[in-house]
Amino acid sequence: MIFDDNRGFIEALRRSGDLVEVEKEVSWDLELGAISRLACEKDGPAVWFKRVTDYVDEVSVFVNPVATWRRIAIALGLPATATVREIYEAYEKGEGSPVDPVEVKEAPCKQVIRKGADANLFDLPTPMLHEGDGGRYLGTWDLVISKDVDSGWVNWGMYRFMVYDAHHLTGFPRPTSHLGKVFQEHYVAKGKPMPLAIAIGTDPLSHFAAAATYALGGDEAGLAGGLRGRPVEMIRCETSDLMVPAHSEIVIEGEVLPDRVGLEGPYGEYPGYRTGEMGNGILFRTTAITHREAPVLTVDATGYKDDSSTVTALSGALAIKRRLERHGVPVRDVYVPPEGAVHLAVMSVDYGGQEVARKVLQVLTSRRALLSKLFLVDTDTDVFDMGKVLHAFSTKCHPANGIHVIHYEGRANTLTPCYSQAERAAQKGATVLYDCTWPGEWSREWETPVKATLDSIFSKEVQEKVLKNWSEYGFKQ
Amino acid sequence: MASSSDAPVWDTFVRRPGDIRCGVETPMVLRDLRPGRGKYGLSHVVGVVREGGGPGDGLVVRTVVGVVLPGSYTVEIVREMPQEIAGTPYRDFYAALQRAAEAEPA
Repeated sequence: MIFDDNRGFIEALRRSGDLVEVEKEVSWDLELGAISRLACEKDGPAVWFKRVTDYVDEVSVFVNPVATWRRIAIALGLPATATVREIYEAYEKGEGSPVDPVEVKEAPCKQVIRKGADANLFDLPTPMLHEGDGGRYLGTWDLVISKDVDSGWVNWGMYRFMVYDAHHLTGFPRPTSHLGKVFQEHYVAKGKPMPLAIAIGTDPLSHFAAAATYALGGDEAGLAGGLRGRPVEMIRCETSDLMVPAHSEIVIEGEVLPDRVGLEGPYGEYPGYRTGEMGNGILFRTTAITHREAPVLTVDATGYKDDSSTVTALSGALAIKRRLERHGVPVRDVYVPPEGAVHLAVMSVDYGGQEVARKVLQVLTSRRALLSKLFLVDTDTDVFDMGKVLHAFSTKCHPANGIHVIHYEGRANTLTPCYSQAERAAQKGATVLYDCTWPGEWSREWETPVKATLDSIFSKEVQEKVLKNWSEYGFKQ
Repeated sequence: MASSSDAPVWDTFVRRPGDIRCGVETPMVLRDLRPGRGKYGLSHVVGVVREGGGPGDGLVVRTVVGVVLPGSYTVEIVREMPQEIAGTPYRDFYAALQRAAEAEPA
């Protein structure tokens, strides 16, 4: 089943047992964040807070929509028990069949319309998620829409935004992000404000598309349609010509100012740390807020094993695979494990060695270097099984010759916790690749060690006999 | 406004230890800690920070990673500044705030 809105998805989670509904009144000021954080850390269900202090009976809050593979599977219309490999395949299939959005004239997100001074950001129960954050973060599970004024290209992204006052937000889309680049090159350079719309609580696959690692110029609305198997319904904003998903719970309209600034951060981000990025963001002035009756504010309790650890990992892994294929790397599978906070990737290749290792490093760090740890394994290692990956790393990676490092400046991930404040300011960093493949020059007959596992060291006949009689030996699984 | 003996009314973030300058007029961002829907709203002011008591409201000082600095601080607000500060996106906000304070008539 594919969902047209957030409410249908919540209902499906209720039916599958992947939702906790909290009826007890909970404070938006740290209590909600603490509960939601622990739910992520325990791989727990999504949480719907029905009564939030200061906002009881007005707005409720739904957190951690897809922070587990079970909920990702449900969002994609798969059984909750689908394997990660099956989830990847379903995503890849939808991604390859984009469907254009359609425009509608009426929409649930227009049930309440507030413009100008009536559009008050403090009317939303934006939680204070972590003690010591720079502010209340509204854009944690959002869909941010902007447009390149010259080419007409519409970009969807997922970017953080902090409530500044009743009518302003500050944000930190990285300068190297699609939004950051378009804003600087096409608006700041011309001194023009950039119209922006922030949609919150739309259908889950539209949020997937917004968070996806997609090529500059890519059509995320088409991607969302492809993942859904039918078009996303869009409606025009009240104060700009941007189009937003009609079934959003809340839409915040406004403009990013080309010559005005505000304080942004610090914030406990997806790597699981608050790294001290503060002060260099962008300033957004609100022009309108539209929403459904009794809207549901969706939130990602950002940090260890949050929603990005599944969604970004999923689309990021496939983007890595495609890039490597385009550059002639003999890649088979790529996995970005949730525990690695989108800093670590495992990729299997038909053959490894120095040349392949260097090429992988170069391709994956040439524009934006978000990953800092890469594991290259042979195809006999299942990239989705981290126990087997650790075994390959421990036994096959040469402690001197198997480690490859590339250094760069101006494109490092400024949220990577191990970088110093000075490195972060210069966007300076490095990526290490651990080559866990056998050297190509080793003779397979004379030099390469033979793996001592059932599927490698025994003949087909012995394997088949043992597997056939397994239960008769007395094993239960 | 609460007196300095009550719960802190404001907090502020500083990037480096030397950025908290006591006894002199300083442009700064204050965050409202009073309960209610508007809690954590930010405003720009020129204020005088004092350590160990003094006129004004109670102030909490946080570092760039959000850690509370030990010590008892107060802030006396000298004047308010605009919410939209002139500056270039992605450049240092605090430098823009300083320029804005210097450009304003005292």
